[in-house]
Amino acid sequence: MTPVLGDVRKNLELHLKTIDRARREKADLLVFPELSLTGYKLRDIVETVALDPERAREFRDLKTLSKDIGLVFGFVEERPSEKGMFYNAAAFLAGGRILHVHRKVFLPTFGMFEEMKFFAPGRNFRTFDTPWGKMGLMICRDFLHISAHYLLFAGGAETTLTISAAPGRGLSEHEGFTSSRMWELMGESMGRFAQAFVVYCNRVGFEDGVAFAGGSFVYTPMGESAGRAAYLEPALFVRDIDLRDVRKARKAWPFKRDDRPEVTLAALERIVHGYDA
Amino acid sequence: MAMTLNGPFTIRVLTAFIREELAKAGFSKAVLGLSGGLDSAVCAGLAARALGPKSVLALIMPYGTSFSADMDDAREAARAFKIRSLVIDIAPMVDAYFAAFPAGRSGWLRKSDHGRSTGRSSMRLGRDDGGSAGRVRIGNKMARERMSILYDVSAREKALILGTSNKTELLIGYGTIHGDMACAINPLGDLYKTQVRQLAAELGVPAKIRAKQPTAGLWAGQTDEGELGLTYAEIDKILYALVDERESRAEVIAGGFKKKAVDMIVARMKASEFKRQMPPVAKISSRTIGHDFLYPYDWDK
Repeated sequence: MTPVLGDVRKNLELHLKTIDRARREKADLLVFPELSLTGYKLRDIVETVALDPERAREFRDLKTLSKDIGLVFGFVEERPSEKGMFYNAAAFLAGGRILHVHRKVFLPTFGMFEEMKFFAPGRNFRTFDTPWGKMGLMICRDFLHISAHYLLFAGGAETTLTISAAPGRGLSEHEGFTSSRMWELMGESMGRFAQAFVVYCNRVGFEDGVAFAGGSFVYTPMGESAGRAAYLEPALFVRDIDLRDVRKARKAWPFKRDDRPEVTLAALERIVHGYDA
Repeated sequence: MAMTLNGPFTIRVLTAFIREELAKAGFSKAVLGLSGGLDSAVCAGLAARALGPKSVLALIMPYGTSFSADMDDAREAARAFKIRSLVIDIAPMVDAYFAAFPAGRSGWLRKSDHGRSTGRSSMRLGRDDGGSAGRVRIGNKMARERMSILYDVSAREKALILGTSNKTELLIGYGTIHGDMACAINPLGDLYKTQVRQLAAELGVPAKIRAKQPTAGLWAGQTDEGELGLTYAEIDKILYALVDERESRAEVIAGGFKKKAVDMIVARMKASEFKRQMPPVAKISSRTIGHDFLYPYDWDK
């Protein structure tokens, strides 16, 4: 989809229409891209589109709809308890309730990106129970950090859902942007080695001349592609997945069983405390 | 070579860019200046594909009858893409100005400089042009005359202006600020000349235009490569290393490029940065345009 920059009302309408279509396709869970309720390059618009998940009318409407279909979408979060703290956030709604809100941890601020100028960083990667097993959320750049994947893996995620507004960058003789390959490579690897379903939703359209690449994809716990949407084109990309594949993959290769989070933790302690040494 | 691009995919991106940026601004038509050269022909081809040929107007703006071959090529490009074209001679406007303020003079304007116009068009390109400094003034004036006409037609036709400056020109500042560099949106600004050439073949730009020596049309026989002292192929490779690959000057030279060529390009990039940015605003208040009043270009679009 292509959200309208800075217009929550129009974007809510877009969400409602898409939800309608997804329900006709009998989808159980619908994932929207990053900042789907607001558009991406907000800059100083951030404060005017921020929502409180507990009180915003948009959340009331979407919660009601989530009784029939699970929803993941992106928004700018600002809670009354943390006035002036704006988060680039993702919400997971199901059964009429908010099951989880993830705040983007890794805010890209280099080159063309300036998120740290406008957003406060999140501080956690936490898994949560859903009607479709244990899941974890990531937002765009989070997905490119192996630590994010590891924490969700260690937390028991059977599926990771990533919402994204990744620009297309770099040309070659092949179709598509060279940057798209980077995302697909991570998806394939993490599907295989975290032995989870990897669901990645990227937006399309242009903002200030930047093309968002699209190409949403799903990888299985065996690291096999379950399909990819077209680059640059808006699409309702629907895939059936068999959640039993997680068990199948983890029986064949017991990466999860053999993982040693306590070793990781102890080593990390030493590394982090060694920073000042 | 990493400068190779996938033609169909690049065309998809650029046509979507033209369509979406225009639609967001509330426009469905585009206008552009067609010079008879490669860049504007490629831009015209992209616009015709993006919007449909009927929604694109090309202005062919020769200076009198000089460069009549270029005018013919411009007409051929318009025909090839089935877009409307309109010829507007800029000689009367440019001549009127230089009749009053001859290009051969320099220094402070004096009262006595004004009003020397005899009422007839006395200035002709290449004659009494005041040497190279005068030629630059004339060239800039012509570029801005064309810009001024494009903006007027843009308002009249409710059409946005498509820029035709490529990445090579923009980086080395080989263009007139507020002249040919002025536009509403620029589909070509991230493509090196070498890449524009690749796209031209893909789009079906007439072979005659693709075979031409690039020229800014400043004077008879002028070519970009002659004036710059390097071929576009060389310039693009150096720029690609410096800009896209983020190599240092020393690394580029070590990569086999002539020191003199690399230094010339680095110097041109630095000297022309002002052409690529909004002019600095003197900061006085707590929130200032260009400093900390930060909105997207597509604000409320």
